[in-house]
Formats: sequence, structure tokens, C-alpha cells
Amino acid sequence: MSENQFGSPTRERILIFILMGFFAVLVLNLFNMQIIQYYNYEEKSTENSVRQAVQNAPRGIFYDRDYNVLVSNKPSFTLQITPAFYDKQNTELIEKVLGVGEGYIDNILNSTRIYSIYMPRKIMRDVDFKFIAWLEENSEKLPGVEYIVELQRDYSSGIKGAHFLGYIKEISSEQYQREKEIYDLGDYVGFNGLEKSYESMLRGKKGIKYTLVDSKQKVISKYKDGLEDKVPIKGNDLVLSIDSDAQRIAEKAFKGKRGALVAIEPSTGEIIAFVSAPEYDLSDFTMVTSQDAWGKLNRDPDKPLFNRATMSIYSPGSTYKMITAIAGLEKGVITTNTHYTCSGGIYYGDRPFRCLHVHGRVNVVEAIEKSCNVFFYSIIQNVGLDNWSNYSHLFGFGDKTGIDIGEEIAGVVPSTQYYNRVYGKNGWTSGYLLSLTIGQGELSVTPLQLAKYVALIANNGHSAVPHFVKGIVYSDTHQYEAVIPKKINIDVSQSSFDIVREGMYKVVNGEGSARNIKMPNLKIAGKTGTAQNPFGEDHAFFVGFAPFDNPQIAVAVVVENAGFGSTHAAPIARDVMVSFINKNKQGDSKNVAALVN
Amino acid sequence: MRISYKIQDRFDFGLFIPALLLIVMGLIAIYSSTYNHPTASGNFERQVVWVFVSLIAFFIIYFLPGQTFKYFAIPSYIVTLFFLVVVLVVGNKVYGARSWLAYGPIGFQPSEIAKIGTIFVLAYWLSERKDDINNIKDIGVALAIGFLPIMLILLEPDMGTAIVFSVITLTMIFWSGISLFALFVVLSPGIVIFASIFGTWSFIVALIFVLGALAFFKRDLFTSASIFVMNIAAGFFFDFGFSLLKPHQQKRIEAFIDPSADPLGSGYNALQAKVAIGSGGFLGKGFMEGNQTQLRFIPEQWTDFIYCVIGEEFGFVGSVLVLLLFFFLFYRLVKIASSSKSKFNGLIIIGVLATLFIHFAINVGMNVGVAPVIGLPLPFVSYGGSSLLVNTVMLAIVANIYRNRKTHA
Repeated sequence: MSENQFGSPTRERILIFILMGFFAVLVLNLFNMQIIQYYNYEEKSTENSVRQAVQNAPRGIFYDRDYNVLVSNKPSFTLQITPAFYDKQNTELIEKVLGVGEGYIDNILNSTRIYSIYMPRKIMRDVDFKFIAWLEENSEKLPGVEYIVELQRDYSSGIKGAHFLGYIKEISSEQYQREKEIYDLGDYVGFNGLEKSYESMLRGKKGIKYTLVDSKQKVISKYKDGLEDKVPIKGNDLVLSIDSDAQRIAEKAFKGKRGALVAIEPSTGEIIAFVSAPEYDLSDFTMVTSQDAWGKLNRDPDKPLFNRATMSIYSPGSTYKMITAIAGLEKGVITTNTHYTCSGGIYYGDRPFRCLHVHGRVNVVEAIEKSCNVFFYSIIQNVGLDNWSNYSHLFGFGDKTGIDIGEEIAGVVPSTQYYNRVYGKNGWTSGYLLSLTIGQGELSVTPLQLAKYVALIANNGHSAVPHFVKGIVYSDTHQYEAVIPKKINIDVSQSSFDIVREGMYKVVNGEGSARNIKMPNLKIAGKTGTAQNPFGEDHAFFVGFAPFDNPQIAVAVVVENAGFGSTHAAPIARDVMVSFINKNKQGDSKNVAALVN
Repeated sequence: MRISYKIQDRFDFGLFIPALLLIVMGLIAIYSSTYNHPTASGNFERQVVWVFVSLIAFFIIYFLPGQTFKYFAIPSYIVTLFFLVVVLVVGNKVYGARSWLAYGPIGFQPSEIAKIGTIFVLAYWLSERKDDINNIKDIGVALAIGFLPIMLILLEPDMGTAIVFSVITLTMIFWSGISLFALFVVLSPGIVIFASIFGTWSFIVALIFVLGALAFFKRDLFTSASIFVMNIAAGFFFDFGFSLLKPHQQKRIEAFIDPSADPLGSGYNALQAKVAIGSGGFLGKGFMEGNQTQLRFIPEQWTDFIYCVIGEEFGFVGSVLVLLLFFFLFYRLVKIASSSKSKFNGLIIIGVLATLFIHFAINVGMNVGVAPVIGLPLPFVSYGGSSLLVNTVMLAIVANIYRNRKTHA
């Protein structure tokens, strides 16, 4: 077999034959595809291109405790430009019709340069309908310019609630880089308040719509009759514990004032009303001019963007006296039979500490009723700084409450350790205690902490972490699921609570400072406070709860630079309490789970 | 013209010029397909750097003294096997296969180097035979040399590269003078397996062909029966082997049989590649004008689907030009191999030819839709530094053999 040789000419011919065979097959295939079936493929190439369009999911809705809508969504027009198809010569014209300054469009296109030129850029939201009509008429001459209908937050419920609802804002490029799988450029995300802390619940899941487009990206038809499309899933709805009527009354009462109000249902920790004044309008942020609105709010000396209820610290004044009373009773320093005689003030060393009046002989109940400073000056040295500090912490002062909106601060409750750190071991005296016991000095608290404290007093030390979200309505199952807050139970005897509450009852119904809010058919208990303020008029405080025998609502009110707590803060608290209790009496309060299903 | 004659005598422009032109066409296509791409826009510059690195490597190897490769044959094979084992233990996964060895920013695929090692040792073994190799022992050893790396590569698992090694081994054995009957015995199970991909009926048809061939060779009944049984076993073994494949590899094979069955899945690339090439027409849509390419219907087009960029933007003319350059290159390799007086050198060239050819055939085949989508790059054209470097090194080895062809017979 001469053929079976190393590298024989036959084998060379076989190799070349195989090469030529392959070459022929490939050339024939190319000829078939590129010459004979050219039109067929050309058609496919220009017409049958599948394009994915992301469909945004509607954001979850906010409801109040009676399942009325607080924040929902409404459609609006958004102008988009896709750089790959856009003719820059049209920029001037579009800017003119939009009514924006020169360079507006270039700015946006340049800032998004790093992304694919086939990705549409959002140029402006909430565009006027007149512009859309003009665009439709001239769409032939404006390649790469289009509009989409987007959903926008609808704040038309009449409730402002800006500081707890929070707002949504276009995603920052840093966050986008971090969470590319979830978000697209130009998406709105929760920026603060509940919108931020419940972002993952509210945002829902995007859908995808496949369409056939030609080489100029013009949509020809649905792809596979839409069978491959993914429908967007709406975000989950939040049912808040806010009572719209109480909230509305509180917001109205704070018009033109600075301060805060927090109302809590004592047994559950649910927040019924929550105001930080001055307020701002969330709908300003959805407008075309949102940048201007933002700047104006930011420059306002009254700082409307600042959440006073959780971020602002105050000296609570006389509203804090119940802490000293409870600490004294619990530690056995005083009983109801312990009396002190008030002659209008005392000396500590050579420094005078005054009382508002000459109260005569008072026990703890009367001391709270009449807000007698001398009684508390007299007992605080026996209670001691660290006992006082421990009971403050027990009621939640000096610590964050854990409320379900992110921003809050802890405030300051001094202790021996604290003073040693700040002033050095011998740099302070027990005289500092005299200021603390009447809620002055270095003690600083937030209005939210005050509300939680009153709620605990009202409900014998049993409550829950203050929270806004009562439950979640899941959009896939349409089921309501209650959110279970963390319970709070503090170890203070029933008798101490009873004694303190009796004092608070008499503040309103006896000879106390809040007689002005006494109601014929509703037993209100409370305590006023007027805290000195080095920067101007005193801050007015009121903390209280009602009804006395079966507390349904606890309120803390601060009105900055207003003067007396009794005249400026207490009436606001009364109106909110009355509104909420009357409604509950009428049986208007509904079972949310029943409403959902 | 004495000098120019001398250069041509030592340096084969027929190898060098087609390869260089292919590299240039690759750069043009890479530029077009990555220019507007958000993540791949630096690939063109990276490839240019690799071209220079590869050219430097080419001339270093070209000037190595003759006989170098013979000394390197066995050590390079052992090193090759060592790395193929190491990669299975500490390798990085790329597209589902544990095929990539990396230390810091430097990384390579041991299977790329293994091609050269395997070619060297096969050439060494087959050229040392005094008689013809038509005995079971010699063929068996040759097959074992080839199949050792194949088994290791299948464990990664990288089916495309395993096919490359099979073709290298069989082509080199063929060149060594295996008889047609022996070749049939070695090859027929492969054909039966390929047929069984398409289903039971094509499997049966292939078996009938095997029966016909057995009748033609007129061997004794026992031999013929054993071969037939072996073929049936191969078909069933494939079914078992198929179930061992990774799901993405199974899908690719299924998509090859019917690309339109799953137009958004595995068959999507194959279908869009055909649309790209077909819509290119006679002269193409022009540089950077291909809408299939520019709208990125085919992912990572600068690697395995680079040929359809050329097909779409330069049309029939450009596509056939690429084929002609490859054909000319392969033709030169065959010619140099058969004029080589050293069996060892001739076999190395045939090994290089087999490597480049199977890459070319599968890659262009899958682009035009006559071969399944198996991830093999188009030599010299596709983006990818290590592939370009290894292909250039193989050409350099051939150029070196050509340079020394008279001194080292």
C-alpha cells in the first residue's frame, strides 16, 4: 500500500481537497445569504429588531388609619431624548418652547455621557400639555425626542405631613452605581422620611415590554403579541396610624408658628398626629421648578426642612417634673405624706432659686398641680443625680426611640459620669441638680421623646416603640399584614403612676396651670412647661393625655418663642385630643383589615 | 535582486502577509463593534498592544536556532499536563468552565499552551517510527498522547477546545500514513456521535453508512462486527455524555439544530448573526454603519461573532476576502509541510494547520449557521490577547522551520 506513507502526495491532495470543500461550502453559504436571500435578511434586519422598554412600577400608596388615601400617584408627561437619534440642531428650538435657559439640554446630555447613547435621557418631568401637543405635531422633524407618561406623587389629600412622609428624588449617580440591578437612571427613590425607610416596600417591581422596532428605533408592533412581556408589579401600600382629622387640626394650629407636636396612642405606640412647623409642601418637589423650591426652603431662616419633632432638642421645663417625682417615690425618698413649705424660693449656697409663687405647704401631688419648684429643689438632692438620670433613661430620654423614620437624635441626660467628663471630677457641684429637676440646664429632649414619656405615664409603663406604619397591604396577595412594633414595659410601681397622674389631672381640673383647657365632658390630664430660652421669648410646652380614666391619646406640644405653655401649647393639644376621642366615641374608627379585603 | 531573493528564501511572505492582513481586518471590526460600547470601548487599544506583543514574540521565535523544538517536545508536554491539572484545582471559572489560571492581573488558559505542547510530542512520537504506523500499539500511543489533554479539558469542561485537540491528533495521525481502514475505525465513532446529535433517525442512517463501509473494506466477520458494535456503543455513550454537559452547552447544541425554537435564548445569537451577515449584501453597509452591530443585537460581538461584523459592514466582498486569506494561509502550510524533509518538522506544521483550521471552520461555520455555536475565536481576527499570541507563536514556529529547512533536514 504505497498510499500509507508519511506525508504522501495523496494525503496532501486529500488535505487540500478538504480545505477547498470547506471553502466552497462557506462561499456558497455566503452567496446564498448575502446575494440570493439578501432582501429577506435585509428586511429582517431593518424591521425585526426587538427592543425592551422598561415599565416603571407604580409606587405604593400611603393610607391613614381609617384607610383614607394620604399620598397616591398621578400621571404626568416626561420629555426624553435619546442621544443616538437626536439632532443637536433642534436644541435651541426645544429649549425655547420649553421655556428654559440656554444650555439646559446640553447640561443633561453631557452629565449622562458615560451611558449608552441608545438609552433615553429624561430631560424634564411634568411637562406642560401644550408642549406635548407641539411635540406630537412636529415629531417628524424631531428625531430622538419623545415623551413618556410617568407616575408622579399626588399630595392632594389636604394633609401636609412632609416631615414623616418624606419626599422622593431622582436617584443620585452614586446610588445608581451601587444598585444598578434595581434602578435605572432617572428613577425616583425615597430620599427621607417613610419614603426612604420603606423604599424597598414601596418601589414595586419593574416590568418589561418587548416591541419590534426598525433600524431607526421606530416601534412597529408588539413582540410575540406581548406574551413575553413582564407586567410591572405595583409597590406595597402602607397603612399609617395617622388620623387625618387630628393631623389636619394640628397642622392648622401650627400655621405661622414654629414648633412641633407628636400624638401617640399610649397602648400601641402608634403615632396619631405628627407636626414639625413650619411645614413645607411636598407637591413643590414634583414641579418643574423643584430646584427653585428646594433652594428657597433651604435658605429659609425658619428651617422648614428641619424635622423639629425628632431632630430638634429643647429643655423641657416643668413638663419634666414627673421624672423627679417618680424617681423620688420609687426610691422611697418621698411618699404622699412628704410635705415641703414653699416660700417662693430657696437658697442653694448663696445662690437663689426661685419659684413662680408662694405655694405654702405642698406634697408631691400638689407640687405637680401647682408646678412648685421648691418641692422639687428640696427632694432632688436626696433622689440623687444618678437615680434621676436612670429614671430619665427608663422613660426613653437620652436615647433614640427607634421610630420608623430614619432621622432622630438622642438628646442629652446628664449623669455623674457625664459631668465628670465635661467639667472634670471636681469641676461641678450638686447645685446643677436644681436646674435639672425643673427641666432646665443641660437636659435636652426631643418632642417625640416627650410624647413617648407621656404615653408611658398614661398607660402605666406599657407601650411600644413609636411608629407610623400600622400595616402593609401587599400588592401581590392584596392581603393586609399588621406591623408588630417592639413592646416597651418599664418597671415602675402602679402607685407611683397613680400619684403622678393625679397631679397631672389636677393641672387641668384643679388649681393648676392648664385650667384654661378644662372640658366639661372630657377628663384631660397634663402638665405645662415654659422653658427659658437664651435667644428670645420662652418656649411653650404642654404634655398631656386623655381621657384620664382610659387614655387613648398622649400628646406633646412645643411652640417656640411663644411664652407660657398654658396659653400657647395646651389649647393645641386639647383640640387634637378632642378630635381624636370624639371620633373614637362615634365608632368611626374602622378595622383596616376588613376595609382592604 | 539577489538580496530580495535571499529574504524570500529565508522568510515566507505567504505565511506572514495573510496573517497580518487578517489581524488588520480584525482590528477594523473590533473598532467598529466596540466604539460606542459602554464597557468594551477600550478593547481596540488593548488589542493593538497585543498585536505588538505578538509581533515581537514572532520574531524572537523566528530567530531561534533550528532543532530547538525537538529538545522542547517532551518537557513542554509535561508542563502542559501539569498546568491542565492545576487549572482544575485552582482555576477561575469563565462562562461556566474552569479554564482560566490567573495570578493578579496576569492570566492565561493552560489549554492554549497545551496545543503547542501536544503538537510537539505527537510530532516527536510519530516521526520516531521507522516503519509505517499501521499497528495498534503506535496508533494507540498516539491517540493516548492526544486524549490525555482532551480528558483534562473536558473536565473543565470546555467542549470547543476538546474538539480542537481531537482534530489536531487525528490530522497528525492521518499525515503519518495511517491506512484508510484504520482511519475509518478511529473516525467512524465520531461521525456516528455527530449524527446522533440530530436524533434517532440520523443515528440510524449513520450506522447504515458504517455497515456499507465495512462491506467495502471486506475485513473478516469478527473485526467488522466489533467495529459495528463499537459504533453503536459510541452513539449511546454520547447520550450519556450529553447528560453530563453543562446546561448552557446542551442548550447551544439544541439551538444549533433548531435556532428558531428559542429566538431569545441560545439560538438568538446564531439567528442574529445570520441576519447581520445576510443583510450585509454584496458590498456591505459600510464601516460603522451596520445596524445589527451598532445596535448590539449580538452580545460580545468582538470575540466569537467578529465575523458577522465583517459580513454586515463589508458584505460578500469582505467576507470572501477573509476566507481567501485563510485559504491561502492554509494552502501555504500544506505546501511547506509536504516539502519539509524532516518528518518531525512536517508534522508540527500539520499540527499548526489543524489547530488554525478547526478554529476557522467552527467559528465561521457558526457565524453563517452551518456549525453549532461553540465558543471558539476566529484566529488572528477575534478580540483576545492570549489567543492572538498563541496563534502568532505557532506561525512563528512554522516560519522558524522554514528558515532552517535546508540546514536541518
